[in-house]
Amino acid sequence: MRMLRLAAISLVFWTASAALAQAPSDNDHTLQAMRDEMARAKSRLELQITQGDKPVRPYFIEYRLLDLDVREVVAEYGALLSTNHNRSRIMDVNARVGDYKLDSSNFVSEEAFRGFIGSTGTVGIDRDYDSLRQDLWIATDQAFKEAAETYSRKQAYLSSLARQSDIDDFARVEKVEHVEPLATSDWSNRNWEQEARDTSATLRAFPLIYESRVTYYLVYTTEYLLTSEGTEVRANHSFAAIEAGMNALAGDGMQVNHYYSTYAPRPADLPGVEEVKKGLNVAGSELMAMRSAAPAPDYTGPVLFESRAASALVAQVLGPSLSGARPPLAFQPVVDQLMSSLGARSDWSGKVDSRVLPASVSLVDDPSATDYKGTKLIGGYAIDEEGVPAQKVTVVENGKLKNLLMSRRPGPDFEKSNGHGRSSFLADPRPTMSNLVFGSTETVSRDELKKKFVDECRSEKLDFCLVVRQMDNPAISMMHQDDFTGLLASFGGNAATDRLPLVVYKLYPKDGREELVRGARITGFSPRSLRNIAGIGNDDFVYNYMQSQINGIAGTALGAFGSAQSGLPAAVVAPSLLFEEVEVRGARGEPKRPPILPEPPMTPKGGQ
Amino acid sequence: LNEQTCAFLRRGSLRALSCILFASLAIPMLPRVTSAAGDGAAKPSPLFSAMKTELDRSMKTLGAQDPPAYYIGYILTDNDRINVSGSNGALLTSDEGRNRWLEVSVRTGAYELDDTHKVDGRQPPNGGPGMNVPVDDDAEVLRRAIWLETDKQYRSAAEALIKIQTGKEVKAQSEEGKAPDFSREKEVTHIGPWVSFTVDRKPWEEKVRAYTKYFRDSAAVINSIVTFTAQAQNTIQLNSEGTQLQFGQIRYRLELFIQGKAGDGMDIDRYYNFDWVNPSEAPDDKAVYAAAAQLRKEMEGLVVSPINDPSVTPALLTGRAAAVFFHEVFGHRAEGHRQKDVNEGQTFTKKVGTQILPSFLTVIDDTTRKRVNDQELLGFYEFDDEGVPAQKVVLVDHGILRNFEMSRSPIDGFPKSNGHGRRQLGAVPVSRQGNLIVESNKMVSNAQLREKLIELIKEQGKPYGLLIDDIAGGFTLTGRGQPQAFQVEPLVVYKVFADGRPDELVRGVDIVGTPLASLTKIVATGDTPEVFNGYCGAESGSVPVSAVSPAILTSELEVQKKPAATDRPPILPAPAHDKAKTGGLQ
Repeated sequence: MRMLRLAAISLVFWTASAALAQAPSDNDHTLQAMRDEMARAKSRLELQITQGDKPVRPYFIEYRLLDLDVREVVAEYGALLSTNHNRSRIMDVNARVGDYKLDSSNFVSEEAFRGFIGSTGTVGIDRDYDSLRQDLWIATDQAFKEAAETYSRKQAYLSSLARQSDIDDFARVEKVEHVEPLATSDWSNRNWEQEARDTSATLRAFPLIYESRVTYYLVYTTEYLLTSEGTEVRANHSFAAIEAGMNALAGDGMQVNHYYSTYAPRPADLPGVEEVKKGLNVAGSELMAMRSAAPAPDYTGPVLFESRAASALVAQVLGPSLSGARPPLAFQPVVDQLMSSLGARSDWSGKVDSRVLPASVSLVDDPSATDYKGTKLIGGYAIDEEGVPAQKVTVVENGKLKNLLMSRRPGPDFEKSNGHGRSSFLADPRPTMSNLVFGSTETVSRDELKKKFVDECRSEKLDFCLVVRQMDNPAISMMHQDDFTGLLASFGGNAATDRLPLVVYKLYPKDGREELVRGARITGFSPRSLRNIAGIGNDDFVYNYMQSQINGIAGTALGAFGSAQSGLPAAVVAPSLLFEEVEVRGARGEPKRPPILPEPPMTPKGGQ
Repeated sequence: LNEQTCAFLRRGSLRALSCILFASLAIPMLPRVTSAAGDGAAKPSPLFSAMKTELDRSMKTLGAQDPPAYYIGYILTDNDRINVSGSNGALLTSDEGRNRWLEVSVRTGAYELDDTHKVDGRQPPNGGPGMNVPVDDDAEVLRRAIWLETDKQYRSAAEALIKIQTGKEVKAQSEEGKAPDFSREKEVTHIGPWVSFTVDRKPWEEKVRAYTKYFRDSAAVINSIVTFTAQAQNTIQLNSEGTQLQFGQIRYRLELFIQGKAGDGMDIDRYYNFDWVNPSEAPDDKAVYAAAAQLRKEMEGLVVSPINDPSVTPALLTGRAAAVFFHEVFGHRAEGHRQKDVNEGQTFTKKVGTQILPSFLTVIDDTTRKRVNDQELLGFYEFDDEGVPAQKVVLVDHGILRNFEMSRSPIDGFPKSNGHGRRQLGAVPVSRQGNLIVESNKMVSNAQLREKLIELIKEQGKPYGLLIDDIAGGFTLTGRGQPQAFQVEPLVVYKVFADGRPDELVRGVDIVGTPLASLTKIVATGDTPEVFNGYCGAESGSVPVSAVSPAILTSELEVQKKPAATDRPPILPAPAHDKAKTGGLQ
């Protein structure tokens, strides 16, 4: 076993639909090794903390293992940057001390137990019995000791509090047996290296794009879960992504970025070279247009989010509000503050049966959906990461909050899990959306919505109003960690309510003229802003994207900014949305100086 | 960091040490060594001319800016790497990857005073970590990357120089600051062949499974990892002074690593590595199992061995242990840049020409040396990371300090590099050790050396002395404001008794001392040089090094207790060694 350094690598998957309870005959001894080591741990694992007291024992143990088969191909301007194919297995053991009411979880302490090998690590890929038992043995030992230590710290902390929470720490569930036959990875007969070269070469046509990179990320996983409650899961998932980021410098030194992304349930479902080239060409052309566009002005007034942008906006704004779990107890108040400023606490907590959206609107999260009117949805799964069968949840009905997404961590409004405990790369499962559909009973056609927008604009006597055509995803569009860090810093305390549009137009009501602007940022846009929507289109858009699972970002407004390597597949379906008053902050930021030397030649065909 | 110069990172990627400064790099560094110069097959890579074009174009324009760039250097490193590792009897990973890394260095000002000039004793960094560039030979895409990176590096060098020029007027110049910032070196041209390998991973997959299964069979071994790596690395170096180099090197390595725990919770690791260059010299199963058996036996002994009390006694260090001892206690202090930094302790800075070791000892750092006896030296290379040819450097001649390991950062009295500017990919080169070789003309056989140890124990009236068989490295404090002390962690230590009792394996000791005092306590050496190959981590990252020494006998060695672990041993016995059987493979 090799100790895992939790990097920003993350995992992604899509669920194979069929679930067979039959234990198939194959050469996979994973579950058996888990079963046997679990039996030993359940009956014999105990620690004598203080002499004379009853020994401490775990009341819950969970084995999770992820078998990963990943291909990553990266190219720029027609040249291959890297190609990797890696199979690995990651294991995580979690033990809980105490009971369902109060246990060792949900507590963030500054001093954590440090075992010498740890409860998380990479393990052998042979699916054999003996090596896994050895690895499970030591990981269980470490997880249990960690839980015992955290439990006593937590008890000490709780005894110092005047009032203690009456919410349980862990929800009970029915045990589940769900063992799918072992799947084999199907990479199709496509030459992914050549496709990456061919598609990325499209951007050679734009010599003023400074940097660009196209990444193909293809994943097959088998996920195992075994708990001391009797749940046994072996489930196959797959997922495929093409993501591209690109940047350029405007004449005034402002950096402009753009991106392209497309996701599919399986590698074979990814769009072919011609379609990707087309998408990259659009992004490249738009980036060039942004380069020479005027900086966005400060603006307050009506804004029309076209459906492509509206669906991304809904993902960003509502994503964090859907979680019904309570955040962990933090030992330090500063951590608490940080979490709420990032929006980690649900805005909708405590608002059950209150109106949170316009009365015509309903919001449904459906992990079992595989497509929306023929367009594939990537957020589905059959069983969540805690072994709970996925359920369709009506979150909002006729504008009123009816439900929240729940994992096994109870919250103030709901206690039971509804199968939304999701995580990537064996991180702690959190309530996370899957396929979210924003629907309304009062919609209008695109043209009507636009007319309404223009009328609104006229009645406010504005020269122009703003249309948002696409939202940014800096996790893909920004090509350097420095840029991303700079962006996070620029949010200041507004990370929960600032939004990042990417393609924004001024629309002049006088003559219907459109004019691209760059560098706009929407400010003060919270879930409350969605209570009043001036118009809802009927042009639903399926926005497949990756929700971030990076600590500190996950579960916040920034959680919508994931990429294939650091996110969880999700989908939001929403139509165009018109708002009467949105605040837009104009272009800001330190200009960069263009390079001293002119760019070296880049011929469209390439120098190969 | 100049506070802590850390020692051999023998675990390679198996364990993170806090002193690795550039751990985030994607590509681990292996040494580069040229093959025979003037090889008929050697042709410059097609990328050479693209790099040259961009270099000339940049130098022409940036050299005329204010402040001017006076030096631009490009390094392109092509890595082809295979990694097969096993753990506890199963395959952990088996993969291969290829990538190319571009590093650009731009210096502004002039050799005497440039953007790397130390202000407040700290050297501003020069050059960024670099970037990934395509593995396909596409001159246009590479030129684009070079163009952007050169501009970025010029900007930061220009900004740094302006800061230095402002700061310099208000700060007093220290003596160390009188040396120029960058040495002038002769241009070198060398085009070696582009190297590559073919390795069948399958047999290695079987081997790592079998070797780690052998470890799992021992109840004392909690975890085992065996890793095979092969790397072909090709390097292109160009600079505005006219140096043009292309060279490649292939290296193979097998590492054995096991972990255990003593009854009181103390963590115990054992590690062994094989390094080879020629595929035909790969260790066979017999050799590997012999090493594995030794590690297992030591682990089984160590987990039940008693903890040693702090003591000052005579001690015998076997060759490999002595080699690490010299690397730590002497080698790091002979690295040139440490003599320049006002924050450094500068143990030896003013000692040139004076006696620092017993007169029977000579210490050289010879990076042109490929082998000692039949063993490869990991610190061998033909050109350093600043494009300077490798050289043999006599550091200590019959006890008298003569020289330092020098990069292109000169110090007073040592204006030139002697080819020791080294770095891990992505880091900025500083002077580092290569092949540190200890030579002695007071040699006795190893058996006689042991007899002498017992004589010393009796003479000093001590109950026992120590035999130190393996050292993990540790850290040495070279920073000013800290005691000029070193601490190394011996892994296999025996008590040797004067009364003829058998040696007793002990654990939990650290060797401590001060370098100037400790080095003069050496009284004799053995007659067989032994090689230690490892990776050494310091300011410029982890670099491959060798240390070579015969066994040494020292009249006095101080050991202290290691800090205790807080973790207890596992509650249950290992599944394979549990008397009560649970389950099992059907």
